[in-house]
Amino acid sequence: MASVEQGKQAIMLSKKHKAGLLNFLSAQGILVFFLICMFAFSLFSEQFLSQSNIMTVVRQASIIGIIAVGVTVVIIGGNLDLSVGSMLSFSTVLVVDLHDKIGPAGAIILMFVLTLLIGAVNGFLIGFMRLNSLIVTLAMLSAIQGLVLIYSGGQNVDIANQSDTWFAFFGRGYVLGIAVPVILFAVLAIIVQVVMSYTSYGRRIFAVGGNPAAAVYSGIRKNWCVFSTYLISAFCVACAALVLGSRVMGSQNNVGQGYELLVLAGIILGGTSLLGGAGSIWKTVIGVLILGFIQNGLLLLGYPYYTQWLVTWVIIILAVWLDLANKRKRLFTTHS
Amino acid sequence: MFHKTALATSVMLLSAGLAHAEETYRIGITQNNVGVDSYQTTYESAFEEAAEKQGNVDIVVLDAGGDVARQIGQMQDLIQQNVDAIIIWPTNGQAVIPAIRQAYKAGIPVVVTNSKIAEAGMEYIASFSGPDNVQQGASSAEMMCEALDGEGQIVQIAGQPGYTTAMERSQGFEEKLAEACPGVEILETQPADWNREKAQRVMENFLTKYDDIDGVYAGDDNMGVGALNAAKSAGRADEIVFIGATNFAVGYEAIERGEYYGSIYQSPVDDAEAALQTALDVLSGEDVPKMNFFETPKITADNLSEFDKPVF
Repeated sequence: MASVEQGKQAIMLSKKHKAGLLNFLSAQGILVFFLICMFAFSLFSEQFLSQSNIMTVVRQASIIGIIAVGVTVVIIGGNLDLSVGSMLSFSTVLVVDLHDKIGPAGAIILMFVLTLLIGAVNGFLIGFMRLNSLIVTLAMLSAIQGLVLIYSGGQNVDIANQSDTWFAFFGRGYVLGIAVPVILFAVLAIIVQVVMSYTSYGRRIFAVGGNPAAAVYSGIRKNWCVFSTYLISAFCVACAALVLGSRVMGSQNNVGQGYELLVLAGIILGGTSLLGGAGSIWKTVIGVLILGFIQNGLLLLGYPYYTQWLVTWVIIILAVWLDLANKRKRLFTTHS
Repeated sequence: MFHKTALATSVMLLSAGLAHAEETYRIGITQNNVGVDSYQTTYESAFEEAAEKQGNVDIVVLDAGGDVARQIGQMQDLIQQNVDAIIIWPTNGQAVIPAIRQAYKAGIPVVVTNSKIAEAGMEYIASFSGPDNVQQGASSAEMMCEALDGEGQIVQIAGQPGYTTAMERSQGFEEKLAEACPGVEILETQPADWNREKAQRVMENFLTKYDDIDGVYAGDDNMGVGALNAAKSAGRADEIVFIGATNFAVGYEAIERGEYYGSIYQSPVDDAEAALQTALDVLSGEDVPKMNFFETPKITADNLSEFDKPVF
């Protein structure tokens, strides 16, 4: 019993330490950077800060954002999830294809069940079999893409009657003037942030990601914790698929291709450490929004959208560097 | 005894004669990326069906999965297998040329299908068979001009950058528009990689950026319908003319509903059959022109009923 108390104390202490001045500064740094970006783009484009543009960007960013919320939890728990892009293809193709065959309600339920099942496979292999998460989810990235192609036979899937199905609500609907994808993103982010910060479950995930050995010694069931993070990630992907399928009302097999990198970019940009044990959902939200505004800003300035890849990753490397520089109090290392 | 030998000899002669008339060709095909979209998937099954119908054709069907290196490897495999002819759907019009030259040197005729290769490789191929994408772009420009009465501001959503089809359609569209319709101005062009969701996002940004858009030209209907989705949710679909290319089922239906002005009818079945026929013509020693374009007509609400709804 004493060891459990000690472990918990150790976790609290390390959390306190991590939430110290440095972390506060680097978190503020991202916000400052975000504001500078917004300001710079608004100088060049008068529509950039218009209400309709901001709404557009937030709506576009919400699909990546919803997934990023789940993946942030996986990363805090000390693992990675690269399979989310393929999972998104799978879930979107599934829900769109089943919509006309068994009706929207059945399609949505079945899609959630199967997506969670994939999450459970990830979670089992990584949580219980203790396989390396990078390799497992990288393998799943390809395997699921194959599954999608087998399922669809390579054909695009479409919803035939697009104007009179309530399925349209998730991607195209508005509640009180706010787009439903944005509401879903916000609600998911808030719930998961609260769970991570204020519940013992959240603290266990931080503990498992920060110091797995200490976590196990303090009586935390690490296997289950890791397993559960992949279920959360899969659930978020299913929500994103709902939005994407409803927004496009059809799906190509390669629809989510490359999303895993966009998601990671948002998370890293937000400042969540890939090493696990630290990070927060709201940082990820900011990171994803920065990504969205950079992409939108470049488009408004007339650059082709793929220039964002270059710009985004340059910014990410800068952000990681400045974060590190902040921690070691100098820009360059002096010893090799 | 004598009787039997005579019979056997005549059977042998007969079968030899048959074999001569009905020589079986082995044709290898390396495709670009089957499964990435419905067009390519339908192409593959149509190609297999056409070969079956021919009867005297054995096919070796390969797919490069969009990967140039893999396609070059597949070309070399087909050369090793000493097939009678190779059909290639190039993943990249430049990078596959050395592999095509190898086939040429090995004496195997190469037919390029669907998407052209660079000028430098033309001397090594027996023939090209596919759609005339420059002409398609020009036809779309004519439709745009007609729909807008020669006056207006439009945006263009193009296919994958670097992909020959995308470049040729844009080129044909821009040239024809400038020549036949100087009153129509292209405000901006953005690529959307043949992807509907990306096109939808690009169009949303266009709608924010420009208060006045009269028309959209999309490199294919898949992207065109994405743009239509965006305009509909912004409540601006009625004021915009949508014109695409490669008519998809969703585009066909949108024309039927009156939401989409027109497109170019390009059937993957025609494409596949033309490729096989060209290869067979080359093998039987006919004088085949270097460029074989199969017909890709304009499709609008006026002549919609003349066409079957695309299966993809």
